[in-house]
Amino acid sequence: MSLTIALSKGKLLAGSEDLFRKAGLPFPASEGRRLVVPVDGLRFLLVKDMDVPTYVEHGVADCGIAGRDVLLEMEPDVYEPVDLGFGRCRLVVARPRGAARADGASTVRVATKYPRVAAAHFLERGRSVEVVRLAGSVELAPGLGLADCIVDVVETGRTLEENGLEPVEEVAASSARLIVNRASYHARREEIAGLVSALEKARRP
Amino acid sequence: MNGASHRLVQVPPGVQCFLGDEARRRRSIEERVVGVFEGWDYEEIIPPLFDYADVFASQALLPKTYSFVGRDGSLLALRPDFTSLLAKIAAGRLAGRPAPMRLYYSGEVLRYEPPRAGRQSELYQMGLEHLGGDPRAADAEVLAIAAECLDVLGVRGFVLALGHVGVFGGLLAGITLDPATLERLRERVEAKDAAGVREALPAGAVPAHVAEALVRMTTLSGDVTVLAEAERALASCPQARVALAELAKVAETLQLAGLGRGLTVDLSEVRGLDYYTGLVFRAYAPDLGFEVGGGGRYDTLLARFGRPMPAVGFMLGLDRLALLLERQGLAPPAPAPPAEIVTGSGLARGLERARDKRAAGIRVRFEERS
Repeated sequence: MSLTIALSKGKLLAGSEDLFRKAGLPFPASEGRRLVVPVDGLRFLLVKDMDVPTYVEHGVADCGIAGRDVLLEMEPDVYEPVDLGFGRCRLVVARPRGAARADGASTVRVATKYPRVAAAHFLERGRSVEVVRLAGSVELAPGLGLADCIVDVVETGRTLEENGLEPVEEVAASSARLIVNRASYHARREEIAGLVSALEKARRP
Repeated sequence: MNGASHRLVQVPPGVQCFLGDEARRRRSIEERVVGVFEGWDYEEIIPPLFDYADVFASQALLPKTYSFVGRDGSLLALRPDFTSLLAKIAAGRLAGRPAPMRLYYSGEVLRYEPPRAGRQSELYQMGLEHLGGDPRAADAEVLAIAAECLDVLGVRGFVLALGHVGVFGGLLAGITLDPATLERLRERVEAKDAAGVREALPAGAVPAHVAEALVRMTTLSGDVTVLAEAERALASCPQARVALAELAKVAETLQLAGLGRGLTVDLSEVRGLDYYTGLVFRAYAPDLGFEVGGGGRYDTLLARFGRPMPAVGFMLGLDRLALLLERQGLAPPAPAPPAEIVTGSGLARGLERARDKRAAGIRVRFEERS
């Protein structure tokens, strides 16, 4: 049986393809609409980025490529043997440019796609927090009065800027990681070791 | 009637109910595993379902424990784990019994678990504890028993991954890290995340050779040849090497005894429950994404109950074994053939006939016909 690899259909897909091609590994053709794609001895699952850890944790996929931001939010019980070096971004707290620091407010209202990460960030710093969970367009929330600030990923910071926000604290740095199911790692050791070493060699130093 | 069912049939999250094939499969797994435990001369203990909360030693299980206040104001807990209970019984009720003691259990533990891979709030565990014996012999014995259980159940391609918490502990011996950093470090080693290990180490907090060894731990896993590689990687860390030598001895003993198949070494296996002090291991198999069981050595737990002695144990999760056997295509036991239908011309006569058949060992279904 071939190894099954879960890939995010989102922003990590292009970087994953570059890396797999560089490593001489097969990769699904980009124009396809199929969600389960067997290619030359590997089987790929194309899923939403937040779902990659779930497929791997349950062992439906042996490995996957997930951003560290997603791993921090989902906290899957998986191995994370390789920092693949692409998809670099930062998880930050951003608030409206020039807004007074809300240290005085009793509760921080934060809009985010990362409710667990956002809540932990403020609670660990002794701040009460009210998390507004959104599925996208998080940058709108402060301007519309839905929240005081947001916790989101930024690459260039342009989207924040266009929405009148500025990063004020870094929560974590993120990049794409190879994640491996715990049982697959042990029970299919040789195949997994082959994949890990091919990707390690191909990744940018 | 179409629409909502009666509100009382709603099931709370995390609980399970089994019948038919599932129930027969579970019963048959339990009988076979318990048969192996008995075959190695372990004695069954049926411990209480709840006890004082402070009996349960694991900090890691604390947030998952269902605890409640008893009528006298004492804090009680539904058992989240058997090992602490058996240690208490060995030190208390069995205080007069000489070591070594070989004890086993089979029953439910209760834990608050978020709904995720292979976890329910009510888990059925079958396990044993070897208390107060020679550590080297006891470690080898419990691993041999774990392997026999999986063999007897017909599990294909299982792997026993061995580690030793003393490797991680030995590397950091004499180094003071704040508890949050230590926990973060342990978690990143366990995740085999070399980049994360580097990030978790505060600058200058540990000597360079220790930092390098911690990073190397994330890749030291595989067949027993990894032990030689580890020996070189840990050359400058004497305390970690003591643990490594213990681990190598266990692996060697098992190989010499013909148990080398499916044996792997995984030095980043450091998590476990926090009472482990030495050997730790987990059992994996293809077709199931998570371990089916695991165990380890806990030489300091018994001292909490006033009877210090070394100990080692392991458990297998019945829920996970049942899922694994199903996925590996092993059929559950067949249902019993139909029972003989017994009727009578009057209720008393019929009942009497049914009882006669029962006395002769016949399965009957008693049906009253007027």
